[in-house]
Amino acid sequence: MRNKELSFRSGPHVDMPLLVAIVAIATCGLVNLYSATSPYIGSGTHGRIADIYVSQIYWIVVGVLLGVITTVIDYRAFERWATVLYLGGAFSLGLVWVLGTDIRGASRWIQLGSFTFQPSEFMKIVIVLMIARYIHNDPKTEPRTLIDLAPPVAFGLVPALVVMAQPDLGTAIIFIMTTLSVVGMTKIRSRTVFNISVAAVIGMVLFWNYRASLLHGYQLRRLESFVNPDADKTGAAWHALQAQTAIGNGGLTGEGFMQGTQNQFGRLPDQYSDFPFAVFAEDWGLLGSLVLLVLYGFVCIWAVHIASQARDRFGAALAIGVGAIFFWHTLFNLGMAIGLFPVVGITLPLFSYGGSSVVTILISLGFLMNVSMRR
Amino acid sequence: MVVAVLVCFLALFARLVQLQIFQGEQHRSTARENIVYQNTLATTRGVIRDAMGRVLAANRPSYNVYGVPAKIDLEKVWPRAVELMRLGEQEARDLRARIVAIRANSTRLATQQSLLVADVDRDVLGVLETNADELPGIEVVPSPVRYYPYGTLGAHTIGHMREIDGEMLTRVSSRGYKPGDRLGATGVERRWESYLKGQRGWRKSLRGVRKGKNLDELEARYLEDPRSLEPVPGRDISLTVDIELVKAMEQSMRGQLAGAAVVVDVRTGRILAALSKPGFDPNVLSGGAGKTEVRDAFRRLYSDPLNPMLDKTISATYPPGSTYKPFSALAALADGTIKPSDEVDCRGGVEYGRRYFRCTGVHRRVNLHEAMVQSCNSYFYQLGQGINIDRLAQIGMDFGFGVRTGIGVNPEARGRMPTRSWYTQHYKGQFLGGWTLLAAIGQGATTVTVLQLALSYAALANGGTLYQPQLVRSIETSDGTVVQEFPPRVRRVVELDQTDLSLVKLGMKGVIMEKEGTGYKYRIDGIDMAGKTGTAQVDRATGRGADQQKVWYFNRDHAWFAGYAPADSPEIAIVVLVEHGGGGGKNAVPVAMKVVQTWNELKQKRLVQKAKPGGASRSRVQ
Repeated sequence: MRNKELSFRSGPHVDMPLLVAIVAIATCGLVNLYSATSPYIGSGTHGRIADIYVSQIYWIVVGVLLGVITTVIDYRAFERWATVLYLGGAFSLGLVWVLGTDIRGASRWIQLGSFTFQPSEFMKIVIVLMIARYIHNDPKTEPRTLIDLAPPVAFGLVPALVVMAQPDLGTAIIFIMTTLSVVGMTKIRSRTVFNISVAAVIGMVLFWNYRASLLHGYQLRRLESFVNPDADKTGAAWHALQAQTAIGNGGLTGEGFMQGTQNQFGRLPDQYSDFPFAVFAEDWGLLGSLVLLVLYGFVCIWAVHIASQARDRFGAALAIGVGAIFFWHTLFNLGMAIGLFPVVGITLPLFSYGGSSVVTILISLGFLMNVSMRR
Repeated sequence: MVVAVLVCFLALFARLVQLQIFQGEQHRSTARENIVYQNTLATTRGVIRDAMGRVLAANRPSYNVYGVPAKIDLEKVWPRAVELMRLGEQEARDLRARIVAIRANSTRLATQQSLLVADVDRDVLGVLETNADELPGIEVVPSPVRYYPYGTLGAHTIGHMREIDGEMLTRVSSRGYKPGDRLGATGVERRWESYLKGQRGWRKSLRGVRKGKNLDELEARYLEDPRSLEPVPGRDISLTVDIELVKAMEQSMRGQLAGAAVVVDVRTGRILAALSKPGFDPNVLSGGAGKTEVRDAFRRLYSDPLNPMLDKTISATYPPGSTYKPFSALAALADGTIKPSDEVDCRGGVEYGRRYFRCTGVHRRVNLHEAMVQSCNSYFYQLGQGINIDRLAQIGMDFGFGVRTGIGVNPEARGRMPTRSWYTQHYKGQFLGGWTLLAAIGQGATTVTVLQLALSYAALANGGTLYQPQLVRSIETSDGTVVQEFPPRVRRVVELDQTDLSLVKLGMKGVIMEKEGTGYKYRIDGIDMAGKTGTAQVDRATGRGADQQKVWYFNRDHAWFAGYAPADSPEIAIVVLVEHGGGGGKNAVPVAMKVVQTWNELKQKRLVQKAKPGGASRSRVQ
């Protein structure tokens, strides 16, 4: 392979389809954020909400810079740093317990000077690096058993339990799903797969039976209102129903940019954090949503494609991990907006407002680009 | 892996198609409902006035105290609120318990206003409004309540309002009523409900418009035309009743426990006054004082043996007694079965069949005139022997007995003119001739309503024209334009021999004017009136175990007077019934006298007023 040794400076070899897709999604996301917060323009006390798209631009700039760094440095270097990064991430997760700032009843943030950041967001990519490192250094070629899988799964599961206690169910789900995706890429003994499946079913049944003691009040209400939305239309199910109304209101072609009534008249809750897609679907309709789905779908599938062509196991696992982070975020966020999943706080990549989220996604995509360029 | 990803995205897309295409219309309309709000615009109920333009039923604001349970500070604010609202200890405790219960049960109800105290006094209202700052979460909200300035006067005629309950709502919701609305329950309020109620309006508005947005532009875009509908105020109704005459009736019947009286204009059939005693206060029943008061009032009224809720002028029937004699006489005269000069020797009664029919006294030899004046039963028993009972019923029906008058207000009783076939239907065995004798003196199975009797005497007075009773003179819009005016309507002209009629009328004049007349002793000098007294026996009810005093009362005769004034050129017909009042002359005539006296005075006063320009003015209350 001739271009094995080429650095990123050899322009033509930048993964153009991936870059175009990312830029397109980010642009749509930024424009949509403007629409989502436009009802607040000039409205006194809430007026500053209308300006958050500006800080989102700052975060994107920061994210792009960090993403470029993770693209430029050969990803194999991160294989060596993975342990250090993982320990650092685990430490900062622990710090949340000590220094955590309460926002809406959950302490997920650490105050750093004038801005806050969320260690659990960065932990997502760090977990991927750690598992990728483990898989890379595991010489085994025969199908893996349960015991073989225990260490990489533990890398994801332990932080998941920590964030679940914060409480941050959404991030915990992302940790677990990402971990399983990366681990699932390896060859696993069929009996182990069967055992895990049975255990998962039993676990879910147990979870449902003991949901009252495992979940916090609001999580429980959201879950139950998802199972039975008509029981409490004005209560916990209200957010989800309003989002679905907004999406349905978009119809085929949408109400037009900044014209969606659900959003413009303040009927849509969390429109710039949890439900940006509802704003988008109301403004642009099914056609706009289709374009967006294609872009997101392309990035996910492209990540699998990159993994399949990666030079080593670490690269493949890293690409799969980044793709998994991207995919699960998208799937859960859209699914919750359109009523396929219960409402959990999982962001939509490059659409939801939030510095930690944007920066993490861009760093992750930097790794993906990195692997793509060094195959 | 690629396939799994594709399947997931296809699932998302499929759900989007379902939401946006198949359920698109539904979500679109939900989204519209979310932002377009239709405010109801209240209307005002029409005003009811009497013949002189005095307001009988209007609307007044009542002030209800509402509170948002979640917002009321039970430690600091509530004691102060209790103090300002001057609540009793028990009441305050109950209310507090209710607030706590609402808070505990439903977060939704706790954030909505709930009624704390209905219709607070004016001074409490003032105190609450000046101290509003101290009472966060507590608010005074005005709501209109029906107001009857004359209280119990004419209450049966005017009627009262009732709040729509759940069962009733299912029947009336199609006519635009909502829970908590009130509608007319009795009297004119009920009969003319559709005119009085008016029509609610509405106005569409946008919900959730942020500050700094161009409201006009948004409304133009999202509100479909028509954007509003102005409320139509209810029609005003003018009655034929003169409330001052009703007041005079009420005052002249002060001494009596129960009874009824009606004054009718003999030239039009218009009802000038109607009274049913005992009455009720429509203000209380219409809900101004709160729901518990209404419930208590109803319980009291319906447990009263004197039946205060019954409109005794229309809804109840009584044996007419001797007041029916003029009609018996007219029938016999027309058939020629008696001649005016025929005499009957009254020895205190008549033996017929195996029964002895009593007279009121021993009148010796009496002719028709004397029999009318002295109310001799023996004469009319004799008359009854020579006439068919169907003929007696026939003339009664001609004068409007036994059928509903069609006044429309309040459930109307028909009364009964017994015929031969009626008796064969209701009694086994042979038809007894004695029944005809009883029918001739207005006893037996014969019953009439007070209104029927008044209209029939009006027909006697005006020479035989039986009018449709009229209670509503005109309907007007709220600015006073007359929408519809109701002219008098003749039901029938009774074919009468005028010489027979004048004979009977002469007799009726004698009842008051002649020394032997049954009403002579109780007349007021200078009052020109003619008529007939009646003392109607009632079915003896021997209530076993009942209070002896009550049994005595309910077994007493009804006292009647039916007549017209002035005697020679009649203008009004008047009927007075004193339930279980005893003798008609002693108990009913003075009442009628005083009413006619007041009527004379009112007439004089109005003639004077009419001479002065601008004398009569209409008062308006909204």
